[in-house]
Amino acid sequence: MKIIIESPQPDEEDVVIVRCASPDQKLISMLLSFQNVNTELTGYMNDKIVRLNYHDIYYFEANENRVFAYYHSEVYEIKHKLYELEERFGPLDFVRCSKSMIVNMEKIEYLSPLFSGKMEAHLKNDEKIVISRQYVHNLKAKLGIWEV
Amino acid sequence: MIKEFFSSLLHYFVNITTATLIVTATYLTISGQQMDSVILWEIILSGLITALPSAFLVCLDAKNGRILLLLWLVHFLMIFFITLLLIGFFGWYEITAFSVLLTFLAVVVIYVFTCVTHYIVDRRHVALMNQKLKQRYSDNKRP
Repeated sequence: MKIIIESPQPDEEDVVIVRCASPDQKLISMLLSFQNVNTELTGYMNDKIVRLNYHDIYYFEANENRVFAYYHSEVYEIKHKLYELEERFGPLDFVRCSKSMIVNMEKIEYLSPLFSGKMEAHLKNDEKIVISRQYVHNLKAKLGIWEV
Repeated sequence: MIKEFFSSLLHYFVNITTATLIVTATYLTISGQQMDSVILWEIILSGLITALPSAFLVCLDAKNGRILLLLWLVHFLMIFFITLLLIGFFGWYEITAFSVLLTFLAVVVIYVFTCVTHYIVDRRHVALMNQKLKQRYSDNKRP
């Protein structure tokens, strides 16, 4: 990847332009940190309070008015609403996959179809989660597949 | 959600109506019966009525594959009983043990046809999505 830094004209303001085929998670993370977006999360497990790294999160799930972040094998409670997490992590590789779940695309090993237009995401920790039909197009859009 | 519902409704309506027409045409050819043209409108209407619970079902969130399977079983039974009601309502034939069995088989054929059609289309989409996923994350791993 080339990095080009040009001097603007005296009357122009500074601008950052990214030219790429499809922005990957690394690039978006870099841009977000450049913009100083807050990706910090605090997780609660019993008496422990842990600072979570979003790279390690497989998915978020809302269950009975509580929201949890799932790591490879640990589960932490998060004191945020699911829609807040969607807003915050949506620009990264997190995508809403059902009413109660947001999945980290990087943690998807592969997808398989289910009857009824739903899909099953096989995660890298051997868990399987269902992607609702109404959210499949979100995932497709993130992957650069545009439906007519 | 509403867009998704109507899009699914249209897909299921087309698939169910096509499958019902195939089953009806096969039955009429084999039995040598003649029927009024009104049957075509009745098939279209029954296609729409049975597509409604199908479109509603796809909008429901199932937490895992097992619940999804259970939902589809309930859906199948619902479609079967709706079909029996429609047969009685339109007076296509008398409700006897034999006709219920025939209806059951017809619903199975239509159900399998619709599911397989959707599954084949979804499988193609999933293959493309897996390819894109692989591409995206193999790019990320590159130094």
